[in-house]
Amino acid sequence: MKKLLTVLLVFLMGVSLYANGQQESSEPEIKEPVQIDFWTTETQSDRQATIQVLIDTYQIMNPNVTVKLIPVDENDLATQLNTAAAAKNMPALIEVGAENAVAFGTEGLLDEKAATDMIGIIGKDAFYAGSLKLVESPTSGSYYATPYHGWVQGIWYRADWFEEAGLQPPNTWENILKAAKYFYKPDDNQYGILVGTKAEAYAEQCFTQFAMSNGAGLFDKDGNLVFNSPEMKEAVEFYAELAKYTPPGPQTWRARDYYLQGKMAMFFYSTYIMDDLALADVAAGSLTNENFTELAGNSFDPELVENTRMASTVSNRKDAGYGVVNSLAFPAQGDAAKTEAAKGFLRYLYTPNAYITFLHMAPGGMNPVLKEIASNERFQNDPKGIFKNYGKDKMVEIIAGLDSIETFSIVEGNRIAAASTIFSKQIIPQMLYKITQENIDVDSAMAWAEEEMNKLK
Amino acid sequence: MKSLVQSPGLDFHKREVYLGWGLVFPSVFIILSLILYPIVYNIFLSFFDVSLGSSNTYIGLENHKNVVSDVFFWKALMTTIIYVVCTTLGTTLVGLIVALVMNKEFPFRGLVRSLVLFPYVAPVISVVFSWQFIFDPVNGIVMDVLVERLGILSDRVNLIGSPSSAVWVAILFSIWKNFPFTYLMILSRLQGIDQGLYEAAEVDGASGWEKFRHVTLPEIYFITGSIILLRVIWNFNKFDEVFLLTGTNVKVLSVYTYYKAFVGTMEMGQGSALALIQFILLIGFILFYVRKVLKW
Repeated sequence: MKKLLTVLLVFLMGVSLYANGQQESSEPEIKEPVQIDFWTTETQSDRQATIQVLIDTYQIMNPNVTVKLIPVDENDLATQLNTAAAAKNMPALIEVGAENAVAFGTEGLLDEKAATDMIGIIGKDAFYAGSLKLVESPTSGSYYATPYHGWVQGIWYRADWFEEAGLQPPNTWENILKAAKYFYKPDDNQYGILVGTKAEAYAEQCFTQFAMSNGAGLFDKDGNLVFNSPEMKEAVEFYAELAKYTPPGPQTWRARDYYLQGKMAMFFYSTYIMDDLALADVAAGSLTNENFTELAGNSFDPELVENTRMASTVSNRKDAGYGVVNSLAFPAQGDAAKTEAAKGFLRYLYTPNAYITFLHMAPGGMNPVLKEIASNERFQNDPKGIFKNYGKDKMVEIIAGLDSIETFSIVEGNRIAAASTIFSKQIIPQMLYKITQENIDVDSAMAWAEEEMNKLK
Repeated sequence: MKSLVQSPGLDFHKREVYLGWGLVFPSVFIILSLILYPIVYNIFLSFFDVSLGSSNTYIGLENHKNVVSDVFFWKALMTTIIYVVCTTLGTTLVGLIVALVMNKEFPFRGLVRSLVLFPYVAPVISVVFSWQFIFDPVNGIVMDVLVERLGILSDRVNLIGSPSSAVWVAILFSIWKNFPFTYLMILSRLQGIDQGLYEAAEVDGASGWEKFRHVTLPEIYFITGSIILLRVIWNFNKFDEVFLLTGTNVKVLSVYTYYKAFVGTMEMGQGSALALIQFILLIGFILFYVRKVLKW
């Protein structure tokens, strides 16, 4: 790992220095030494090591800028940023989900102008239009953040089990429920499906696709709260029913390990799972029970990737897909020198070499929002050879999916900022937790959620 | 102008007093600024509607009223009482029994005595992770034993995850983690008991139970009483073990306060009010206990 990183560093430096010499210096030069904090939600140590390599490279090219990398858990981001704002200690650059970026932007925590400037410099047409739509502010043509990478979610399932049982792929409500029931065998320690039942972002990610496929939104296009609708209730009830075929107790994405162990038939996950499925050594890093042969269940199955398929849309009244775009945003920390430094660093992060290195940290999970990069040969040829397993066409198709992501916060082209606030306050996950874990009935839980949503106005 | 030391008004005694104050000043200053100031500021904040962005508004006792009229506060208080009573009883009883056993002669006693301390000295974060793994509903050893091997339970359950059972796991964890402290304190007192007392009791024809009841118990009464007081104070305010093990599933007062003040809508004012109420409850208990049980 270390050796790889060193090679990467040397390579990047070489290429970047060369490229820097070639490029006309369009970036503003930083003359005074300045230190900026960069908050990333990539908390895994190997990802941080890679980002640190990018930073080191940048610092060598720009000796006056020091970038300090600070990992922040996605679930804590809202709390941390609010606290930092109160302490007047905000970072100059953060990596943040588009939903949260809009929520922070609405609260006035972000420097909208800096982000809009940067999108102009990179070129609006270079981005997938869908990704830009997710970070647009109410003022048309103005953006809270710059989209950076994204993923698409779907149901990953055991195609071999489905075939054997004569079941249809899990792409409609009916098919999903039927399969979940069929494969739920708690006596054999085997479970039907994983949907989020812990009060965390994952639960909302799973739920959104069901709500959307039933035509149930949080707001109408004029921003009126229409959460308490028959369609929404139907979706909540269906979700609660599915939760019965999930492993016991509150569960979150971590329970995907049960799938890798052959103890589960279906689970909601993003394209991030591609490397875990495709690579035996990565999967071996996840829980296995080869040391506990007495325990019920199987050890890791190398055939798993061939036996796994993904259903990316869920249909009931209509088809719905779900995905998330992560963005880079400039918190309004009030120091122009730091903002300038952060802008320079951000511009660097979009240069092909740095960008592809960043995206290759999680092949499949981090997909480019710049069209040019998606078809780039070097991007397609990831170091772990994962994309080859899936084929170039399928990859491009998945990435193009970033253009048609549906969320609660965009209704008929109108951005509803309050929906992003609801997401960052995790009201829906808390509601689902109440129903599935505290056995509160659907009507009272929905009434509670509606009350909380009304409080935010 | 005369210098301070030569001043005829300052006799030897007074100089001693000034020197004393001078020597304790740094630590008094640190205690005041790091402990008293936050407490006072917290009390102050509890009378305000705290807003992180703009300035605070004075609202009198509104926060305290909101807290006390909230049903979740009473639930949290109830959970805290269950948690404190069970963990205090548990750690004291287990600690006492282990101390009595360890006071007997047996081979490798020194080794066993130090091994018993392990749960207390192990870092909380690492043992929390192993407990979470042990209690995992699908892969954990507890469910495997209870469901597959012994058949005591018919279904696998998520003991740490489910709100109804999580508090009992937290209690079990706390007893396991903290009994060595009680054991250590009681054992050191047991070793100091004059053997002559037991011999005298034997001469009087006392049975084993009577020796424990009339000799051992009075001798360890005050040390046990003090340990109980400390355990109540510590566990009433306990945050780390509960939160790390069960997240916000077990809302004892300190976790509930954190939840109110720092999660979601961030009601800092109500959080302060909660902390104040918790503080008053604890002080009330300490005063009562010190008078009645420790007989000060």
